[in-house]
Amino acid sequence: MAETVEKIKLLKSSPDLSAATYQIHDESHTIGNSLRWMIMKNPKVEFCGYSVPHPSENVINIRIQMYDNASSVDALIDALSQLDKVCEAVEDSYLASLREGKFERWEERY
Amino acid sequence: MQGHDDGEPTVRIREVKKDRVNFVLGNVDLAFANSLRRVMMADIPTVAIDMVEIETNTSVLPDEFIAHRLGMVPLVSANCDEAIRYTRDCVCLAGCSFCSMILELKVSCHDDNTMDVTSDHLEVVPFPPDEESADPGEELSKRGEWFGHPVGKHDRNVPPVLITKIRKGQELKIRCIAKKGIAKEHAKFSPCSAVSFEYDPHNKLRHTTYWYETDIKGEWPLSENAKEEEAPRDDEPFNFNAKPNKFYFEVETDGSLGPQEVVMKGLAELQTKLANLILGLKIGGADQIDIMPDDVPVPHVPPPDNAWSGGDPNTWGMHAGSASGGSSSGWSQTSPTRGGAGSQWSNDASWGGATGTAGWASASSPQTNGWKQ
Repeated sequence: MAETVEKIKLLKSSPDLSAATYQIHDESHTIGNSLRWMIMKNPKVEFCGYSVPHPSENVINIRIQMYDNASSVDALIDALSQLDKVCEAVEDSYLASLREGKFERWEERY
Repeated sequence: MQGHDDGEPTVRIREVKKDRVNFVLGNVDLAFANSLRRVMMADIPTVAIDMVEIETNTSVLPDEFIAHRLGMVPLVSANCDEAIRYTRDCVCLAGCSFCSMILELKVSCHDDNTMDVTSDHLEVVPFPPDEESADPGEELSKRGEWFGHPVGKHDRNVPPVLITKIRKGQELKIRCIAKKGIAKEHAKFSPCSAVSFEYDPHNKLRHTTYWYETDIKGEWPLSENAKEEEAPRDDEPFNFNAKPNKFYFEVETDGSLGPQEVVMKGLAELQTKLANLILGLKIGGADQIDIMPDDVPVPHVPPPDNAWSGGDPNTWGMHAGSASGGSSSGWSQTSPTRGGAGSQWSNDASWGGATGTAGWASASSPQTNGWKQ
């Protein structure tokens, strides 16, 4: 590997970071759409959108604009940890359903 | 179907079979459900045959054809996270016991009848000691008994995968090297043979438009999942605030991983992606805030688990499965410029990968495997 690239970088922003565009490396719609949804759930966020600028470049751009000059980095970090919690909650409830065992079981699992 | 999602996400498992699990995911957003689907299909590592050296092939199929078919054979990949490394992360030069498996296919037909060559003829052989790396690693001890073996080889109830057929006097002598990878690199690494995903079976949200000749209901029968939701009345007005809330999944695997493992690994993989992002923000972010408006370069973050950097530049042998090229991209973006290479993303040298992924580019070195260009 000749050069390392940063996972996330700032493309453009206002001086106080209340409106910023981030570029995330090696991610796609998989993270982009979920993250956009989670960021939009934050009432302090005025606007959030994401795009895959070109299909053969594996990057996504995320634009966040905040109300009242709040920090978009905070919104981003909050959204990431909330998404993480969603994953955990789904995992827990999956395991709970598995333990409950109220489903059709066909062959013996290995 | 509610206008807002309330409360905790719910999961209800409806059916578990040896190779599939069917469940209903509720109280999450469409974006998240889709992320889970995408991650299960494309981001879970498995092992598959990646390089093929052909010593003898007198069968009717050409070498590339057989190499491609070998790449598609599912191999047992349980506990892939701990049991094997990516070759790009390994200390070795071109593959060692920590980052690859060797499988041999040595068959010849001496019978008057046509003989089927199947995945059952693939034998896992130990790494030759001279190619063994001295590097300490726990990988080998984490492997299950059948790790890297073709799926169903040790189960009489599972029919083997047919690779080719040979007649009397024909012979195959092939050495295959299996490596770890993810399906974004090549579809053969996907643990899922199918993931079905449905929401809103009555199409109340109008996310799709059905084409019909005379009678929409007669021509578009409802799916089984429609029983889970109330049918709309004929005069029901369209609720433009409604959001999908229940997602019907069926995850079907090819046997390389169990269905439960795929779901759990999928969620774990999503969390890893998020964790990598948070890490990237924490390392780069602090500086960004200080020196904001000017475009001062931010310190580099170590690239987390980079799946895009392509294969090993020193590849010899042909790329198993690369003949399919285009078929590897089951999802939205296909790069039209690189038909043959297994990796869609590999065409940017600045990402620090080997430029020609282990595709045809490197396979064309003359002394590779005895077949002439």
